[in-house]
Amino acid sequence: MSKWRSMSAPAVLITAGLVLSACSGGGSGSPTGETEIPEDALGNAATTIGECSSEPQSGGDLVYSRRSQAQDLNPLVAANGNGDIFVINQIMDQLVTSDPDGGYGLSPAVAESWEVSDDGKTYTFTIREGIKFSNGQPVTAEDVKFSLDRFADPEQNLILAIAAVGYKRSVVEDSRTVRVELDRPVAAFLYNISIFPASIVPKDLVEKQGDAFFDAPVGTGPFMVKKFTRGSGITFEKNPYYWEEGKPYLDSVKFNFAEEDNSRMLDLKSGKADMIDGVPYSQIPQVLDDDDLQLQVVEVPQFLGLWLNHQKPYMADEKVRQALQYAIDRDEINTAIYRGVGTTPNSVLPALKFDASESDVEPYPYDVEQAKKLIGESKFADGLEIELKYPAGFEDYKQLGIYLQQAWGEIGVTVELRELDPAAVADAFYAGDYDMTFPYPQFTSDVTVPDEYATLLADPDSGIDGFFSWWTDDAIWQKIEEFTLTPDEEDRAKQWPVIQQELLETSPVINVLNLPFVNAHRKGVCGSKVDALGSDQLQDTWLASDAG
Amino acid sequence: MSTYILKRLSISLFVLVALAAASFLLIHLVPGDPVRQMLGSGATPENIQNVRNRLGLNEPLFTQFYTFMGNTFTGQFGESITLRTPITELIGDRIAPSVQLILYGVFIALLIGVPLATLAALRPQGFADNLIRIATTFTFGMPTFWLGLVLALVFGLQLGIFPTSGYEPGVAGFFRTLTLPALTLGLSLVAMVVRTLRTQLLDVLDSEYIEAARARGISERRIIGIHAMRNSVMTTITVISVQIGFLIGGTVVLEYVFQIPGMGTLLIDAVTDRDFPLVATITVLTGAAVVIVSLITDLIQLALDPRVRANAS
Repeated sequence: MSKWRSMSAPAVLITAGLVLSACSGGGSGSPTGETEIPEDALGNAATTIGECSSEPQSGGDLVYSRRSQAQDLNPLVAANGNGDIFVINQIMDQLVTSDPDGGYGLSPAVAESWEVSDDGKTYTFTIREGIKFSNGQPVTAEDVKFSLDRFADPEQNLILAIAAVGYKRSVVEDSRTVRVELDRPVAAFLYNISIFPASIVPKDLVEKQGDAFFDAPVGTGPFMVKKFTRGSGITFEKNPYYWEEGKPYLDSVKFNFAEEDNSRMLDLKSGKADMIDGVPYSQIPQVLDDDDLQLQVVEVPQFLGLWLNHQKPYMADEKVRQALQYAIDRDEINTAIYRGVGTTPNSVLPALKFDASESDVEPYPYDVEQAKKLIGESKFADGLEIELKYPAGFEDYKQLGIYLQQAWGEIGVTVELRELDPAAVADAFYAGDYDMTFPYPQFTSDVTVPDEYATLLADPDSGIDGFFSWWTDDAIWQKIEEFTLTPDEEDRAKQWPVIQQELLETSPVINVLNLPFVNAHRKGVCGSKVDALGSDQLQDTWLASDAG
Repeated sequence: MSTYILKRLSISLFVLVALAAASFLLIHLVPGDPVRQMLGSGATPENIQNVRNRLGLNEPLFTQFYTFMGNTFTGQFGESITLRTPITELIGDRIAPSVQLILYGVFIALLIGVPLATLAALRPQGFADNLIRIATTFTFGMPTFWLGLVLALVFGLQLGIFPTSGYEPGVAGFFRTLTLPALTLGLSLVAMVVRTLRTQLLDVLDSEYIEAARARGISERRIIGIHAMRNSVMTTITVISVQIGFLIGGTVVLEYVFQIPGMGTLLIDAVTDRDFPLVATITVLTGAAVVIVSLITDLIQLALDPRVRANAS
């Protein structure tokens, strides 16, 4: 549920995009045609080519221009979404962490091992031997207990208390062992504590310094804060006590906050930045054409989530929702707007662990005749008018809105487009003042398992009204609840595809397209790995000596 | 004359109060809840209510307005909702780049505009005059974000003279990082300088005392550089001071394009986050800057120009 902000000026982005296009040579594909993304740009493969095939080298300073700025380094506040989260991840670790190589699994971090009781209600963590915070202070079991208690306290964990579902208490067994008790089995518990709010912090310093601690927090992550200038950037230096032997390789990393798409591209092309995130889709061909640059397309649980308001009779009509699904030509959207980097979803949620393959759960095909038939069978056979709200300031949403208006117009659904600034779109979403909406400019799951989004969407007691869709389905919720309470991974892997299929069939919401993160770096930046949640693994990044 | 000054001060005060009221009401009337923006959809309803209570956002709008007006005019701007930092501290950190950018931009506008206006005035309707008119109309007509990007592309990316973005403090950093944005701002203002100064120069050059100077054999260069310019430049400065609002607006866009951590980017962030107190404070302070510059210009004119003094009396 990350947010991403931009100046509400689509014309700025579109016109300025033309400026940069004019100065680039050639083009990998026509201005609106499909761009072929080479294999070496996919996932973490983008970091192992050319000069990066040798052994990692230590030293060097990396400059990274990022579209989302950091505002608050307190992991329980993280008011600016990914801008804060990906910075916090450089400074702090959790007991366990997402697989740094980009898989759906989990890896040990502050905890070197753990055991789970048979009933799935007790987790016993062994803290990594000799692990220290970046100030040299050892991590103790008390620190872990303190951090988990904070994480589970809804008074402190303002943004994601839901991730602490089932947490009862932590008990310090000895200096390196902490036992966590849950009031019920929570299958996703390890995933829930692998993300930023469960970061391990030193108890004594947080208690002593209060909020001031988070101005330059101390953690066990690969880097520590050297200088944080709000609105401009943050500079990290390597944590000399980092627990991974020989890492991080870089001496320092500087994040420049560069929200404007073209400014980031200029930073990269001019060499001012070694890496950028959020390559604008329209400028992917230019990155591919530039011999000095390397594109990196990383699959993350990000999607174009189109939310439908079931308080409206037409959105509560299953046949209408299915007709809308059938009338979307996802291949065309992907090619024309997203330069072919997206993938057709076979779920209403983003791509997550346990998802069935396309052969087991088939995506909606593009079938206008079937869509017309369904509309004819619905209560709205005479046609209907729907308003679509989407965030201003984003070239792709504008194009997508126009495309959907035209596509659904063909099946008798008149769509009125309303472009609003992101805060106004979000406000209307929370208030239920919409027919359908793309509520967030960047819509990503916080964890790699479906538990979070499925629960938000289907739990009638979540307090957020079916994730603000006002959809309810007791039968599906029972299956989801059982899924979230099943500790055994193999059982879960069998349960989820059934739920996935049922959700897709009834389509309480629509996933228009799964979208990756599109980053780029200069050649010579090696090991720029990204985990399955999109967080940069800069402890593994290094600079080849012949790189500028 | 003191009545005039008193009247002028009263108007300024009234404008500021009206501006404070308008900025407070506008940002509250625009849809978007700062607490929701800050906490996102994962927050519980209880948490949202608790934070709203803590920030006083559940108070009636009139109570919030009364508190805001009281605080603003006693200089207590409170704390930013999103950044949880005193607003005076935030503004203190961010005001320098913006002020530097405006002053540097005006300097560049004068540096380019004054010689061009002089050249144009020497041969009205000549080749140079027409060329200058076309060129300055072009730079005036270009949106600042576009012009800024083009300059960054040419001087940053192609020629590599300046960085494409960013801000560095210190004298060297000032020239390295602010030259391109200031040039953009200056170019958008230069048409105004050239047109005003050219017209003034032509008027003055046509006047009798210049004829008399010429008759006394004073060189043309001296006539223009000293006699004519002295009487023309005041109007130009007045015109620039009237443009202060335009200049501040221009810096908002330029700070965004060039990633300068100034008041403009602070304002954009505050609006995006619906950070009510921060938006209202920046708006009021910006308005105050415009009102004060305008007031000072009027007072300077009053002091220097006997015609204005006569009217005021």
